[in-house]
Amino acid sequence: MSSRFRVSVAAIAVAAIALCACNREEHHSRAKPIGETIPTSQSPATIFPGNGTPPPLDPRAALYDNNANAIGQGQQLFSMMNCVGCHSHGGGGMGPALSDDEWRYGGRIDQIAASIADGRPNGMPSWRGKLTADQIWDLAAYVRSLSGLPSKDAVSSRSESMSAGTPSTLTPHGEIKNSDAAQQ
Amino acid sequence: MSLRRPLNAALLPLLLSACSYQDYQSDFGKGAVQDSDFLTLFTIFLVVCAIMYVLVIGFLIAGILRRGRAVEANVVETGRHHQSHPAMRTTLIGWAVLIGIGLAGLAIASFFTDRSMAKAATNQKLSIKLTANQWWWDVQYNSADPSKTMRTANELHLPVGVPVRITLASNDVIHSFWVPSLAGKQDLIPGRENDITITPKRTGIFRGQCAEFCGVQHAHMALIVDVDSYADFIKWWDHQLQPAAAPTNPAALAGYKYVTTGPCSACHNIAGTPASGTVAPDLTHLASRRSIAAGALPMGEGGLYGWVEDPQSVKPGNHMPTIGLEPDQLHSVVAYLETLK
Amino acid sequence: MRRVATALLGVGALVACASVTACNKSQQSQSSAPVITAPIVGGPHALPPAAAAPADDGNWTMPGKNYASTRFSALSQITPANVSKLALAFTFSTGTTKGFEAPPLVVNGTMYVITPFPNYLFALDLTKPGAPTKWEFKPKPAAASQGVACCDVVNRGAVYDNGKIFFNTLDGQTFAVDANSGQMVWHTQLGDIQKGETITMAPLVADGKVLVGDSGGEMGVRGWIAALDEGSGKVVWKAYNTGPDKDVLIGANFHPFYASDRGKDLGVKTWPPDAWKIGGATVWGWISYDPETKLIYYGTSNPGPWNPDQRPGDNKWSSGIFARNVDTGQAAWYYQSSPHDLFDHDDVNEIILADIPWGNGRRPVLLRPDRNGFFYVMDRRTGQVLSATPYGYINVYKGVDLKSGRIIPNPDKSPKPGRVTRDICPASPGAKDWNPAAFSPVTGLVYIPHINLCQDEGHMEANYISGTPYVGADVKMYAGPGGNRGVFTAWDPIHRRPVWEIKEDLPLWSPALVTAGNVVFYGTMDGWFKAVDARNGKLLWQFKAGSGIIGQPISYRGPDGRQYIAVICGVGGWAGAIVDANMDPHDPTGALGFANAVKDLPLKTTAGGILYVFTLPR
Repeated sequence: MSSRFRVSVAAIAVAAIALCACNREEHHSRAKPIGETIPTSQSPATIFPGNGTPPPLDPRAALYDNNANAIGQGQQLFSMMNCVGCHSHGGGGMGPALSDDEWRYGGRIDQIAASIADGRPNGMPSWRGKLTADQIWDLAAYVRSLSGLPSKDAVSSRSESMSAGTPSTLTPHGEIKNSDAAQQ
Repeated sequence: MSLRRPLNAALLPLLLSACSYQDYQSDFGKGAVQDSDFLTLFTIFLVVCAIMYVLVIGFLIAGILRRGRAVEANVVETGRHHQSHPAMRTTLIGWAVLIGIGLAGLAIASFFTDRSMAKAATNQKLSIKLTANQWWWDVQYNSADPSKTMRTANELHLPVGVPVRITLASNDVIHSFWVPSLAGKQDLIPGRENDITITPKRTGIFRGQCAEFCGVQHAHMALIVDVDSYADFIKWWDHQLQPAAAPTNPAALAGYKYVTTGPCSACHNIAGTPASGTVAPDLTHLASRRSIAAGALPMGEGGLYGWVEDPQSVKPGNHMPTIGLEPDQLHSVVAYLETLK
Repeated sequence: MRRVATALLGVGALVACASVTACNKSQQSQSSAPVITAPIVGGPHALPPAAAAPADDGNWTMPGKNYASTRFSALSQITPANVSKLALAFTFSTGTTKGFEAPPLVVNGTMYVITPFPNYLFALDLTKPGAPTKWEFKPKPAAASQGVACCDVVNRGAVYDNGKIFFNTLDGQTFAVDANSGQMVWHTQLGDIQKGETITMAPLVADGKVLVGDSGGEMGVRGWIAALDEGSGKVVWKAYNTGPDKDVLIGANFHPFYASDRGKDLGVKTWPPDAWKIGGATVWGWISYDPETKLIYYGTSNPGPWNPDQRPGDNKWSSGIFARNVDTGQAAWYYQSSPHDLFDHDDVNEIILADIPWGNGRRPVLLRPDRNGFFYVMDRRTGQVLSATPYGYINVYKGVDLKSGRIIPNPDKSPKPGRVTRDICPASPGAKDWNPAAFSPVTGLVYIPHINLCQDEGHMEANYISGTPYVGADVKMYAGPGGNRGVFTAWDPIHRRPVWEIKEDLPLWSPALVTAGNVVFYGTMDGWFKAVDARNGKLLWQFKAGSGIIGQPISYRGPDGRQYIAVICGVGGWAGAIVDANMDPHDPTGALGFANAVKDLPLKTTAGGILYVFTLPR
């Protein structure tokens, strides 16, 4: 057995192990019934009296967080469901910014999913019954990606916002016709 | 064994011609002026190229047969044609002239076909916008009177004998418009508009197909083209403009409530109801169409049940989620959708 | 005239060329020195009609000051000579931190302040030192209404009439509150936030009716204006701005000047089927009233969605002016300034009523610096456009055809599907947005606080889901030619030219006030409250407020007989949302693209809501 052969076997083995870990694009197009999967009103970082502990992360979060397919689907939904109208491409407007590092109701994926499903009192609509659990989780995964929380390899490198070219307003002015009844 | 191969070879064209049964989806359908023009052009190309091919092969064979006599020269190419035999020179000049005539003929034929296409495009009487999505066709009929603008999906209705300009756009990836019986291919490219003009020559149903791989459900992206008489076409358009009728029976009424307030309404439009979504196929006259989900299933009660209950197993990866309807919800939703004639 | 305009454009081009290098510099400076571009011409000039603008009693009872919307105070104690001595009289913190667009009102020794959401109403006693609170009224609007208010949760003002204060709340209610006791007299629910309807406009009380319109042109609502009985709050009439004629209250008395506005049910026929039901054309701006003809004048907002491909046709009756009979609501005429609006050029701007010299007599007109960048002079009896002159930089329109009344679009700037259209001037907020100009009968000039922004815009299919935005556009705004984002222009409506101009670094989002003492007041978004000379624009005095100013200054006579100037700071609105909504400036499309134009604003001011009242020392 030549050394070169041994090296390539080792390389293939390493690559195979790496591929095993590669579930960033795992698809899950079949949704589960509503009710089981949307976390209900996961509390943000609040106080749990009597030595209480915050609820643990929803186990289904692992299916969506850091999943390129979920983030991609969520990105499409973010535009289709008019999230862009309020939150822009993360910068905010009618709704709060999502691309900064402030989370009013928690930045964990299950907390975000709960915000989307149940709405929040200052105007965030409740999407439960309009979107399936699967779609809500996808959206939550995308929202997290807006502030760069998931790992880089799961996030599309293509920006959805407009290119920031130099404004071309400094071009010569065209003539604009004055309109005056007295002149005509 | 020795017999089977030629037999297969003989059967193949027969099988292919079976595909063009009733010219439903055939390159030789001659369903539209443009298709016929292309076919004429194709025939001219075929004839010219065939003649040239036969000549080349003929000369080649003649050359091989005459090989023995030419041996004494033992020169294949000297570069001194002017010194060669006068008969050879005449033949070569004749050959060059023939090539020139053949190519010029092809160019002229191609030019005139192209002009007739361009003329048809300026002559358009009807304008349709066809937007491709993963994986369905959004069809918008434009009119000088904006209140006659109308949207449908996955089905194109055209009047016979009228030049129709179809503007082609895409909302996501590159798709390609191809109705073989009516016209050639044209791509639908995100960020730009293409167009294609069709003047149907005879009535009938034709099938089109996305001809550019566009994702996992590329195969389930069919477009049905229904060519009608002008009067029938206008009747159809007027019918499509009508809002959806309010359901009367209790099951359909329950379905109406679910569809227009539930998850369906976030994406689909049903004119005359609160459901006004624009990102999924318009359902106003769903039941009057011939297929479900761009040719994934035939229209009918069974198809609707199968599709509404679990679209992700019928067409995995498409944007319509499996909602997990309860049986009574499913019955009522299908009952309502069946009323959308 | 043409030559003057060409010369002006030439100067503009020079400035534009020079500004490539001077851009950084101009970002730092607050504002430029005024550029005087033409003399004030003597002789007869425009005057407000006496019936709509009665003699000044020293009060300020409605945002526009009077039915003619002049925002002119006849008080003259404060003059260019003594304004530099102006000093604080008292201040008052409203406890809110949202965009403050409303003016305070003053009625016989009491000041009324209406705040943005949650729409507190305060009454301050001006007869006592420090103006203590007399009473406060909290209408408690639904918190969820904040989620459907397109461009900050503002309120544009209350109005006083007949012993009552009338105002609207963000969640679509109109309130009448007793001006003395602060007790609610009636309230009427008009808008439905589930459909995206909010109310941000200031009502107008005319002829015993409270006139109210809805907001939500970005939410797919159907615009309307309603008249409520002043005493009971009952709806007297309600006119939609889209749909069939019977809904729009178009009847036999409707006589639009231009042929394109005549026809049956144009509010349906100029839209794709059903699109008019979600087509915008709201009434979130200003209403003026001519008591002589009993006509109200108001503008309608943009059609929805912004993506024009989804609404082929003229989209009537959006982006235009209606004249209606105040008693019946029946339309008298209509003019559409932006048919098939491409750029969110609403038509809600203020309408100033004036009588201008015409031949041997005077002609009753309305003056309006429109969002599309043209200063319109129109006959207010017929709706005929007499002139339309650009008062800001425009490249998306080539002019207004006076024969057909139609604006001439520049085909180079018409949006193409899937493409980003670059360099659209003026941007969506127009050459001037909601913040009204003031008109001085002393100088005959209109004082226009406006903006100089251009934008890039791309469209995508807008999905309609009731109660969510219905826009379908990505927008990125930036400074227009010259690099200055705001301009303050003194405009001569007769000779149709600017008399002087001040270039401001930040967009101007505050309305203007002009007084008989020839002092003009306005505020900037970084919090400077400025007094300039009405005749030449010379800066006379300025004061730095705690937050950016987008509210309207007023002038009133106090119980002690002295002239006071009041203004409320509180940055916000569409332009200032980046500050008060704590947006992320890294996203150029934030706040429908405005965030990109004012990325530096969070460093220059913070949110607030404080009333400042100034007077001359004794």
